[in-house]
Amino acid sequence: MTTPQLRGRYPGFDVLAQVEHWDEATRRVVLDRLEKVPPFRFFDERERTVLKSFCDVVTDQHEEPRIPVLAYVDEKLFQGALDGWQYDDMPDDRETWRRVATGLDEAARGEWRAPSFAEAPLDVRADIVGHFAEGKLRGGVWDTMNVSRAWKVVMRAVLSAFYSHPWAWNEIGFGGPAYPRGYAAFGSPYLGSEAESWEAKEA
Amino acid sequence: MSLRSLRKGSIAMPEENDSAFLLDPKRRGLANLDRMARYGTGDQVDLVVVGAGAGGLTLAQRLARKGWRVVILEKGPFWDPDRDWVSDEKGSAHLYWTDKRIVGGADPIELGKNNSGVGVGGSMTHFAGYTPRFHPSDFEVRTRDGVGVDWPFSYQELKPSIERVERELPVAGQDWPWGDPHTYPHAPHPLSGAAAKAWEGARRRGVEMRVGPVSITNGAFGNRPHCIYRGFCLQGCKVNAKASPLITHLPDAIEHGVEVRADSMATRVETAPRGGSVTGVTYVHEGRETFQPAAAVAVCGYAIESPRLLLNSTGKHWPHGLGNAEDQVGRYVMVQGATQVAARFPELLRQYKAPPPEISSEQFYETDESRGFARGFSIQTVGPLPIDWAGHVLAAGHWGPALREYMRDYNHWTVLGTLCELLPYAENRVTLADEVDSVGMPIARFDYRRSENDKANMAYATRVLEEIWEAAGAEEVLTVERYAHLVGGCRMGVEPEESVVDSTQRVWGLDNLYVCDGSVLPTQGAANPALMIMAIADRLAGLLGAKRAG
Repeated sequence: MTTPQLRGRYPGFDVLAQVEHWDEATRRVVLDRLEKVPPFRFFDERERTVLKSFCDVVTDQHEEPRIPVLAYVDEKLFQGALDGWQYDDMPDDRETWRRVATGLDEAARGEWRAPSFAEAPLDVRADIVGHFAEGKLRGGVWDTMNVSRAWKVVMRAVLSAFYSHPWAWNEIGFGGPAYPRGYAAFGSPYLGSEAESWEAKEA
Repeated sequence: MSLRSLRKGSIAMPEENDSAFLLDPKRRGLANLDRMARYGTGDQVDLVVVGAGAGGLTLAQRLARKGWRVVILEKGPFWDPDRDWVSDEKGSAHLYWTDKRIVGGADPIELGKNNSGVGVGGSMTHFAGYTPRFHPSDFEVRTRDGVGVDWPFSYQELKPSIERVERELPVAGQDWPWGDPHTYPHAPHPLSGAAAKAWEGARRRGVEMRVGPVSITNGAFGNRPHCIYRGFCLQGCKVNAKASPLITHLPDAIEHGVEVRADSMATRVETAPRGGSVTGVTYVHEGRETFQPAAAVAVCGYAIESPRLLLNSTGKHWPHGLGNAEDQVGRYVMVQGATQVAARFPELLRQYKAPPPEISSEQFYETDESRGFARGFSIQTVGPLPIDWAGHVLAAGHWGPALREYMRDYNHWTVLGTLCELLPYAENRVTLADEVDSVGMPIARFDYRRSENDKANMAYATRVLEEIWEAAGAEEVLTVERYAHLVGGCRMGVEPEESVVDSTQRVWGLDNLYVCDGSVLPTQGAANPALMIMAIADRLAGLLGAKRAG
């Protein structure tokens, strides 16, 4: 029943308690996220430092247990698993990630006068990220691409990594894979109205 | 009386498609693959189909029954749902066309998982499952409403094909009051608590909803299992309850001699020396280029890839691409305005259960001059899983602590979507980019821009959704503008100066080259395109003659 930072609304709910009800292909894919965290092969050490800190801020993960978001992003980019489109005013997604890493440090050292993004206090990092989210970062690498679209590119991968993790499902009370068993409690009051017998109530 | 007519569920069974009986009740992968025909590349087949999706597989199944020897080239893998598909959002990314494409224009369209499939079965492996009919008005929007273009044939001409396909999928839903009123072969699915919320809000707002129409089995249908309501329709149906041509048409096609070559990327349709006919298709399989000769070719790659293949097939007689003498290939690509409005309720709804496509309304489908724009929209439920829901929350402007809090609130939210008919424009176009893909073929570029009519339609539809949720007692709404579906690009018409194929889907200026997919649709209605793509494939097969005793 682990949740990121032990936060959540469904105390006692552990989606992993249901793995015996999942089909083998799904079980392998989901459990690999827990048991086989991919090694870093795409980002270099400098990029890792700044982007790990960025992922912590955008997913509000400032203590353990953390979902290792950047490891999954690294794996995706290393494998060249793109999303199927690239805006004409943007570089390749892999290049976008590298520029974002550079740009966050440039912003921190520039306007925010911090030694680096990762070493800046949380409120400074959050302020920089807020500017990024609103497409307002300027100068240096930020002038080489559409900043709002860069935000969408990186956040797409971050959210996919975070909310594919079973700890996040525990946090939000998502029932997870349900094949081959299926669901029945989604409307009838006689079947529990909305929760299966194994799904926890909201706190 | 034949044996089959005695079986349970026989009333709705199609007559000339045994696919549902050819599936194996003990596993989901196709049972008759070991009997699939293998043609030689020195052997001229009757037809090469490029793309194993809704258009290509339906056409192949029909023609195989008429004795045609058909080879299908598919860029992606041959799926076995037991082995390759998972009950998991992130783990389903391989179902989408994720190779790079460039998007531009004033309103660039995100591609990938939202509208582009790959692999045997095409995009229908991960479409939601809605299979509404177009309305009769869709076929004459120029005459009726002064916008877009009329189709070269009427709804009535296509209706027998539509009805045949509805029996084959089969479609489940309530009796349908809109367009050409009709019934469905299977009963409507049960209503989820989330859909009931939408229904109640709509009722109070004066909007009629109906359950369906979805191509998800809800009755006895050969060896197709019943839906188990696990909510992963957009991730590939491991159950085999939701229709895709992989299970609705390919088993019968294989039984009648169709060969599918998966992992085979078509790069050129080759032209005969005189230029007036095609000779076959060049494709790349495992890094090796091969040519498959054919008496005819059907390009069925959908709105991006079909234009891309034609544009890349240049030659002496076709310097700007096959069928592109009039500069029409790739034009009039359409998407639908698919803004989603999420609503928060005090009680738990757990919208991840039951099929995301539950209920819909076509009350606003037709032109109503009082609204200030031409044509209209549909309303449909959607049930985003966590990653999709996180994307919705992000698009509404939230990240960090706020994002985590909205996500913890996931089970209190439910979502309605619009499907707005956006009109066809010549400058909304697929072209070739400078960049090439892994086999050296130029990648596609897609430029898109909405008109004022399009924007007015989307704004009005969004207001209706927000009013429905307000009427339902929602505590908060989150609205996100987005798009869905792709049609057009090789449109069908009556003059070569304003279309790519004629009313028989034959490319202007070529004797034996056809396009059979969503790209030929001249307009898109406010309906999901899958059923109509299969229906035009059925119609085309009916126009093409028998080859030999089948």
